[in-house]
Amino acid sequence: MRTFVRKLVIALITAWVTITATFILPRLMPGNPIEQLIGKLTGRVTPEEIAAIKAQFGQGLNEPVIVQYWHYLVNLFHGDLGTSITYSPQSVSSVIFGQLWWTLGLIGTATVLSFILGTALGVYFGWTRGARTDLFIPVAGFLQSTPFYVLGTLLVMIFAFRLHWFPFEGSYDATTVSPGWNWAFIASVLRYAQLPLASIVLCSLSGWMIGMRNMMVTTMSEDFVLMAVAKGLPKRKVMWHAARNAVLPQIANLTLAIGLLVSGALIVEQVFSYQGVGGLLVNAVSNLDYPLIQGIFLVITFTVLIMSAVGDVLYVWLDPRTRTATVE
Amino acid sequence: MTTSSNPVLEVSHFNVDYGVGAAAVRAVDNVTFTLERAHVLGVAGESGSGKSTLAYGLTRLLRAPGIITGGDVHLHLGTDADARRMDLLAASEAELRAIRWKHISVVMQSALNALNPVRKIGKEFDEVLKTHNRSMSKSARKDRARELLGLVNLTPDRLERYPHELSGGQRQRVMIAMALALQPELVIMDEPTTALDVVTQREIVAELQKLRQELGFALIFITHDLSLLVELADEIMVMYAGRIVERAPALELYRGPRHPYTLGLMGSFPPLHGERKVMTGIPGSPPNLKDLPGGCAFHPRCPYAMERCTLEDPMLSPIEDGQRTVACWLHDPSVSAAVPVELRRKDAALAGEAG
Amino acid sequence: MRRFRLPGTWKVRVGYFLLSIFILFTVIGPWVAPYDPSYTGFTPDLSPSSQHLLGTTLLGQDVMSQLLVGCRETLVVSFVAGVIAVVISIIVGLTAGYVGGKTDEVLSLFIAVFLTLPGLVLLIVIISLFPQGQQANPLVIGSVVALTGWAWGAKVLRAQTLSLRNRDFVEASRIIGERRWRTIFAEIGPNLLPVLASSLVGTVLYAVSVSTVLAFLGLTPITTWNWGTMLYWAFANNAALAGEWWWLAGPCLAIALVGTSLALINFGIDEYINPRLRVGNLSNRERKRAGLSRRPKLGFTPVHRVTPVIGAPVMAGAQTGPEVLATEATASTPAPREDHP
Ligand SMILES: Nc1ncnc2c1ncn2[C@@H]1O[C@H](COP(=O)(O)OP(=O)(O)OP(=O)(O)O)[C@@H](O)[C@H]1O
Ligand SMILES: [Mg+2]
Repeated sequence: MRTFVRKLVIALITAWVTITATFILPRLMPGNPIEQLIGKLTGRVTPEEIAAIKAQFGQGLNEPVIVQYWHYLVNLFHGDLGTSITYSPQSVSSVIFGQLWWTLGLIGTATVLSFILGTALGVYFGWTRGARTDLFIPVAGFLQSTPFYVLGTLLVMIFAFRLHWFPFEGSYDATTVSPGWNWAFIASVLRYAQLPLASIVLCSLSGWMIGMRNMMVTTMSEDFVLMAVAKGLPKRKVMWHAARNAVLPQIANLTLAIGLLVSGALIVEQVFSYQGVGGLLVNAVSNLDYPLIQGIFLVITFTVLIMSAVGDVLYVWLDPRTRTATVE
Repeated sequence: MTTSSNPVLEVSHFNVDYGVGAAAVRAVDNVTFTLERAHVLGVAGESGSGKSTLAYGLTRLLRAPGIITGGDVHLHLGTDADARRMDLLAASEAELRAIRWKHISVVMQSALNALNPVRKIGKEFDEVLKTHNRSMSKSARKDRARELLGLVNLTPDRLERYPHELSGGQRQRVMIAMALALQPELVIMDEPTTALDVVTQREIVAELQKLRQELGFALIFITHDLSLLVELADEIMVMYAGRIVERAPALELYRGPRHPYTLGLMGSFPPLHGERKVMTGIPGSPPNLKDLPGGCAFHPRCPYAMERCTLEDPMLSPIEDGQRTVACWLHDPSVSAAVPVELRRKDAALAGEAG
Repeated sequence: MRRFRLPGTWKVRVGYFLLSIFILFTVIGPWVAPYDPSYTGFTPDLSPSSQHLLGTTLLGQDVMSQLLVGCRETLVVSFVAGVIAVVISIIVGLTAGYVGGKTDEVLSLFIAVFLTLPGLVLLIVIISLFPQGQQANPLVIGSVVALTGWAWGAKVLRAQTLSLRNRDFVEASRIIGERRWRTIFAEIGPNLLPVLASSLVGTVLYAVSVSTVLAFLGLTPITTWNWGTMLYWAFANNAALAGEWWWLAGPCLAIALVGTSLALINFGIDEYINPRLRVGNLSNRERKRAGLSRRPKLGFTPVHRVTPVIGAPVMAGAQTGPEVLATEATASTPAPREDHP
């Protein structure tokens, strides 16, 4: 239970830090980025909009900072993240939620696939360590240490442009299907998602695989695994004894991995011109759309927090030692 | 003792190395013994003398870089009618799997590490019963598990516990109960009580004593505490640097050790009964297997070492009409020097004389 | 203390070799580059040839020159980031692990929060707030990258310090009353070396990836040459669509290879830190030379009967007998042995 409370505290503090950082950073940064932005915008948008942006970032307001902070929190609580500059007059939240599902779909599928595949391969490679399969480890190292978007680029070059197996950009075939709950659209989405998904899964799978293999090797030197052999259990069951324990640190590392995976996925979206938050972020950054940047940062952080909370629950469920107060 | 002929385990000239080629060290060297059905063999020796290596080597459970480099190990399975003699060193993986736990079970030194931390105790029992007896029903397995816990004085509610929720003594009892689950002919226990406090140690040894009379399994009990063995074991084997240096019926060995190493080993521990003797211990430290001294491996630490001890390695030879065996030149008929009195004692009455 | 030397496996050797090539190019790259990377006067869109080893861009630039020149900026930024991150993680991790108590709790929380924040997004937010002029400064980029990448190292260092703290030699120097910081640096420090090395390698790996991403996204100035900006220009000019694979493959492979070299070295460090990862101390080569055909399996100890030379001296036991005839065990003949003399 203690672990659980601790995790909760960490999540809450992370949320608070994220929220506060988005408030403070634009006000603190050297060179006054907001001034720059306003200079850039003057003449392009209405004076009211400029006033709204100024107000959002505390320019020319007479309120003390703490009151601004309070207003900011209240707005946030109501889901009000301000108005996007790039997509004006749409609000930041509507812009983000319009794209979020694409990103969540990609990230969610990639996380589940890479975790399951990587862990399963890791079990196998750990069990057969010292055999020829060890040769896959450097290959996995190559995949693991290659940034997602670099692999994505390589995959696009080979499979989309050379071999024409997959479409090279977009998230569905906009010329033939229209979004909605129809089979043609879903099929198109599935087809377009394969290559981006493959580059995320291939890269992150190797990390899971190497981690699991090493944990498997370490666990196999534990007495209880030898004990399982001594009991005359079939190989499959012995492997399970080891794997069931070796997977725990993997799940403990889920938080870190999800952060990396989400970051990577955003960039992969960019490589494949895939619809989603990644594209928004890049646009927002190049247009100095600070409200949108902040909104994306908040939404992404909260996504990561929620996903790692799922991981934490899973961990507690899988490891009985975290559930009891008794110390051994 | 070796003349009766109902053995359960026959080991001859058994060798185990760690590593191969030039880097190899011999951790078990030319070990030969026979274990009779329903007998208890105690194995004692300092840390690093090769006790665990022997135990795991016999069962083919030893991990890399351990390699069995010679000898024979035969296990006698079944009762007299359909008895079968199985060559453990020639057995295939499947054959080994079939006899493991059903005929040989093991109890490891640390019960905490030997139990899967994320499994309930009941599940472990269930799994082992199910694997070896497909026809047993779920409720029958559960009843059997309860019964087994009862044997070691644990309440059945422990089945619902995880290992970390039990005390060290309880865990070790669980391991013992599990080892007896399939009524094997042979149980090997590697220092099952070393991690426990003295009181629990005694309790468990007493329980074992009772159980083996009830159930009649043969037991190899490994420890570095000789005094534990006196009550439990029929015979005691003392190991040094991977070899057997002395073997004798338990009480005789305890009352009258013949090898200086055994004597030292006993001096290292307070005796079970009677007044405390001076704890002399053994001078020096256990040998480096990579660089064993020539001749008798024990001679650098032996207060009685003679010139011959530095030159020739004594063989394990019978003494006192074949009642016991010892590997020491002091007892060789061709050696003229008198055997020191403390290595000649016959019974407890003489103990006082020794000091 | 053991000397810190990585196991000489082929993985580590290949890793060292690759990395040293890239480090060499970091130093001499701009000097050995055949042309000015920004010169646009070549025939555009040439595939690789002896003139242009990696072809030319759509803008008529030499790809090879860009790659060689860009190596320096990419690696310098990454190593700056790696070093800064490791310094932060040493300070935070060591303090948390060694001082313990409340300090540890606060710092651990701090570490956990930074681990949870999605690094790259935070990085983009921060970088986008910097004025244009400073975004080109490797120190600025390096520091920001480090700021988002130190937490993992700190976590590992803290755990390691915690376990070292309770060992005898540290305890001893505490009892003698040596000053805290002296204890940390003289006693704990050297034992942390492998963990430090591992987190340095890990952070540099992270930094290579994110610093090129920043350039690739056009968030850091695109007027200087590094592997990220090369990719930026390649994408901006639709190199993939035009089939100019050489334009993309150069920087992609360079990034991947630097990453791989670091990952290979990290494998070695892992094996050093966790000896259980080494194959039971029995390398495949040793095993084969000894004639043991199969890999030792868990719970199936190999039987490998070694026959001593007949007539070898009996003295000092059989363990020194030269091995001539090695047979893998089947049920077959037991080895001849020396019984009682
Ligand atoms: N993996 C290994 N590699 C090399 N040598 C080993 C290995 N394991 C054990 N040894 C050596 O083999 C010898 C016997 O070890 P073993 O574990 O059998 O001793 P033991 O009598 O069980 O000691 P303890 O009472 O401490 O359990 C020791 O000298 C040890 O150094
Ligand atoms: Mg042992």
